[in-house]
Amino acid sequence: MRLGLPDIKAHVRASETALKYLTAKPRITVPYPEALLELPQGYRGMVKLNVETCISCTQCARICPSNAIKMHKRERKRLPGINYQRCIFCGFCVDICPVIALEFTDVHDLAFHTLPEHLFEPEGFAKGPPPPHVARGTRKVRTEIDEVRGFKYE
Amino acid sequence: MTLEVVEKHLELLIGPQHPGSGHMRLVAKLDGDIIVGFDPDVGFVHRAVEKIAETKGYVQIIPLVERPPLVDCVNVNLGYVLALEKLLGVEPPPQASYLRVLAAELNRVASHLYGIAIHAIMIGSSTMFMWPLADREVLLELLQDLSGARVTYSYVIPGGVRRGLPEGFKEKALKAFRYLRRRLRDYDDLFLSNPVTVNRLRGVGVIEMRDAVNLGIVGPNLRASGVPYDVRRAEPYCVYSDLDFEVMTRREGDAYSRLLVRIGEIEQSMKIVEQCLDKNPSGPILHESFLRGLSPKARAYMEQTGRVRFPALFSALKPPQGEVSVRVEAGRGELFFYVVSDGSPTPYRLRMVTPSFRNLAAFRHVMVGNRLADIPAIYGSLDYFPPEADR
Amino acid sequence: MMDSIEGFVNVILGLLFTPQIFVPLVYPGLLTAAVMAIVIIWLERKVAAKVQLRYGPLYVTKRMGGVTQLVADLIKFFFAEVIVPRDVDKLPFKLGPALLLTFSLLPVVALPVSGQFEAFRSDATLFLAVALLSVGPIYVIIVGWASNNKFALIGGLREGYLLVCYELPVFISALAMAVLYGSLDLVELVRMQGPGLWGALLNPFAAVSFLVATFMSTSRFPFEIAEAESEIVMGPYTEYSGICYGLCMAYSYIKLYVKSILFALVFLGGWLPTVWPFTLDPTLPGLIVAFKAAAVMLVGVFLRAVYPRYRIDQALQIGWRPLFALSTASLVWSLFMVGVKVGGWV
Repeated sequence: MRLGLPDIKAHVRASETALKYLTAKPRITVPYPEALLELPQGYRGMVKLNVETCISCTQCARICPSNAIKMHKRERKRLPGINYQRCIFCGFCVDICPVIALEFTDVHDLAFHTLPEHLFEPEGFAKGPPPPHVARGTRKVRTEIDEVRGFKYE
Repeated sequence: MTLEVVEKHLELLIGPQHPGSGHMRLVAKLDGDIIVGFDPDVGFVHRAVEKIAETKGYVQIIPLVERPPLVDCVNVNLGYVLALEKLLGVEPPPQASYLRVLAAELNRVASHLYGIAIHAIMIGSSTMFMWPLADREVLLELLQDLSGARVTYSYVIPGGVRRGLPEGFKEKALKAFRYLRRRLRDYDDLFLSNPVTVNRLRGVGVIEMRDAVNLGIVGPNLRASGVPYDVRRAEPYCVYSDLDFEVMTRREGDAYSRLLVRIGEIEQSMKIVEQCLDKNPSGPILHESFLRGLSPKARAYMEQTGRVRFPALFSALKPPQGEVSVRVEAGRGELFFYVVSDGSPTPYRLRMVTPSFRNLAAFRHVMVGNRLADIPAIYGSLDYFPPEADR
Repeated sequence: MMDSIEGFVNVILGLLFTPQIFVPLVYPGLLTAAVMAIVIIWLERKVAAKVQLRYGPLYVTKRMGGVTQLVADLIKFFFAEVIVPRDVDKLPFKLGPALLLTFSLLPVVALPVSGQFEAFRSDATLFLAVALLSVGPIYVIIVGWASNNKFALIGGLREGYLLVCYELPVFISALAMAVLYGSLDLVELVRMQGPGLWGALLNPFAAVSFLVATFMSTSRFPFEIAEAESEIVMGPYTEYSGICYGLCMAYSYIKLYVKSILFALVFLGGWLPTVWPFTLDPTLPGLIVAFKAAAVMLVGVFLRAVYPRYRIDQALQIGWRPLFALSTASLVWSLFMVGVKVGGWV
């Protein structure tokens, strides 16, 4: 350690920088649950099935990296069902479907009470994920990258 | 007369249940405050990634190998897909290569910001822990626009990438970089020039150039000891040979210079991304041999949304027999892939040597002779990530 | 009947407001110390959060910005199980936190609230306050030793090294101020910091060294060494849980509070400026001292957002070289100032 005089200027600059943020900048935190982030188009959330379009090719079940999709026998077709405990939201199933029968929703709330609720049969898969509980008075915000503040929410 | 043997050195187990140890145990032998023996005890996060890869199809391994490095996933993803493409004999179209480099460099900035944040909290600066993580949010926002997820994007696939550049991405990215450059100045004022930081980190944990090469450490740790080795320059892959960037090197080899090398690399990565956004050629983002079997409906979807439809081939990809090895520069250092294929849908062997695994050799060498309080300072400066090393 | 009740109430109130009961129990004693600790810890978390672009404690009483967060934490501590490990040294382990807190609050008996209101009148209250301050840290070492835990041992020893290091500048700075004003009595010291001649202006060296030594002794960043979280878990308090942990954590903040009041009295003019006849003795002087002490504490907790922490040997080097030299220089400066005054200038 240097025995000389302490570097007062550097100390002052550090404190000044901290003071600048103490007095000026707003917070980057989104005050969830009073404000809810609006997710952009194409966000990889939970998946929804379109039963009429599905041609039972089973490609989605084959490509799934964590074996979350399994086919169930329904009348004359086999329809996919999904196990959300295993789903890693990679989106391979949506991208490989040759008839575009699977699509992303913007729901990613993955908390259920019991394990059987995680296993979505084709009927539940077609209905889509249950909409999340949103408290009254919640406002939706969208992030926008801002040069000075990093994020602006509106 | 009887002799009594008394243990003079204190053995301290800085174990997995310790705020400053990460997912590993550090066994330190102390003589007062000075470390006389040091042994990292790793393997707590071993998840048998290489063995699981022998049971999964080639495209299914993409999310699997992305999980160990976690903060730095695009680079690992890129390395694996380059190895797979070498086996398949496929070259991605030029726009796909530029998009790969763009995503990889954005991820490198995010990875370095994370490393700096962990380093800062280990030496006690909670402000410098929160600030880089908050700024990383801006980058995650950009990557979310690009790929749809905030972490583990699985963005690079054999033959190209999954999504093209969305609308307005370039303006957003340039705005984000202006913000990041302003913040880098604030980091400098608050942390890098802070006399306490300089005292804590300068001259601590010095790795000489000769030792760095002999121990085999990689990445910014190697470059901070004076060896200007970067895989992007030594064995250029994708379009790195067309891009103009500097390899940040410093000579001192102490913890402070490792920190400065990482900050410098953030700036260089931003430069690379700006070049990619300028040069971005238009064109397909997936190799045409994979587009052959797609139905007209799928092609129309691709035109409309810019997102790729996988060919049905991907669920049962069978590369020809052979073995291939590929090196890429991940955020923490050089990453090496070795894939052996025997013609079946699953690989015969996947070997993944991660940079943190190679940096492990530095621990035993560099800690001895330093003080107890230097353990977190040096650990943070080496940017060691236990899940990546343990795979 | 009513007279006797009124008389009874009068007796109780009179008893409460006698200085000997009021000072240790209410102000600046136990009650105010508890309230100040609650507010200052909340402020620390809020200030650090604002600098770090986040909210800090928010939800407990939302309209007031979460100010009663610490009350919620205290209630949680009371309900948490106090685990006494099997192999610890039982008596010091159990008594340690209580004694820590007692001795950190004890110097308060020597501090006057205003010119006429103090617990006992003596002509050496400054000496008494500073001497009582040096008893507390010994219990940190005892607690660290009794915990039978290597991390606690290392933390306690670090506090032991620092203890010798920071007590000296405190003593010498206080001595310098006593020399400057020619008295060891705190009431006298405040009276002599008459119109605008505050201690900090007359002897800035002593003020700076006293302040830095205060931050060193109460684990304010960058000197948060005894309880360095990323190196030795929680230092000497590692094995504590429940209310004992709460007491240990309160120790450093209450010590900061006591030292801030001492700083305000000796260096920042105490309860001046109060202009007769608006003295409102002893309420207004007490409030003025409390505000000045709060300002000093605020500076101390703001430093958490600015600095990392020093290593133990670096902090000791700071204490024994620049800081010790500065406090000795302040003593020489005081002697010089006294000489100048005697020469007839001031």
